[in-house]
Amino acid sequence: MSSVSCIELIAFLDAYVDDELDSETRGDFDRHLLVCPSCRAYLATYKETIDLARGAAEREEDLAHDAPPELIEAVLTSKSRRPKS
Amino acid sequence: MLCSTIEHATLSPMLADDGYLVERLRTGDDTAFEELVNHHAGPLLAVTRRILRNEEEARDAVQETFVAAFRGISAFQSESRVSTWLHRIAVNCALMKLRIRVRREADVDALLPHFRPDGHQDHSSVSWSESAEEILQREQSCALVRQCIDQLPEPYRVVLVLRDIEQLPADVVAEKLQITRDNLKVKLHRARQALRTLLDPHMRGAAL
Ligand SMILES: [Zn+2]
Repeated sequence: MSSVSCIELIAFLDAYVDDELDSETRGDFDRHLLVCPSCRAYLATYKETIDLARGAAEREEDLAHDAPPELIEAVLTSKSRRPKS
Repeated sequence: MLCSTIEHATLSPMLADDGYLVERLRTGDDTAFEELVNHHAGPLLAVTRRILRNEEEARDAVQETFVAAFRGISAFQSESRVSTWLHRIAVNCALMKLRIRVRREADVDALLPHFRPDGHQDHSSVSWSESAEEILQREQSCALVRQCIDQLPEPYRVVLVLRDIEQLPADVVAEKLQITRDNLKVKLHRARQALRTLLDPHMRGAAL
């Protein structure tokens, strides 16, 4: 039997993913993951969530290269209204 | 846009162009400022929209970014990239508008995993049918991910955007949001778990 429960593993999953656990605890987590398919799936989907959030935002930025013309206009106007310092 | 293609393809020519642009900005060259605005306003608007989720405020933040950039051009360190420097200013401008909203705590419990008394999950987790790369190939899936991010309660959404998407360092985010680093860690973990819960029903069964 593994010495950590699913609830503990998931509570400290961020520390596991970010490699912030001491080696003993990390070993306990690894042993739990070996015998628990649900936590393995949770870990995989937790990491995938982070990748999806980042990836979806990057895709959006790739598509968003053109700012609305009225914004460009407003920026240029606001600059010329201010005296150069 | 040609410039952005070059920016992604090769780094060094862009850095050289950056230097030339900054030099012209410092001498008060108006066309240099126009180039700067035309090239960077779009990507910066994507950043401020992501943080603020309010079009008017997002545009105001971009405007303030360029005013601040123009005033602070003498402080620009030539070894850093113009895009990185502008990104940092834009995040600051957006956060100044956000501060009041972040303080309001919101309940995220319903989106966190639930456990039985024996310590097991109430409902077993299952893997998703496709990898992140496969899912991100489809624009409608990317849109769905962004919608799920928008459904997160505000403080959790902001923490996830700043840490996992904009990838700002933990101490910088903690300071900006005026919370402790421990509290930030807890919030980020909860935000990721809540987003995972929102994505789960869509990602279990293949192509959306
Ligand atoms: Zn488990």
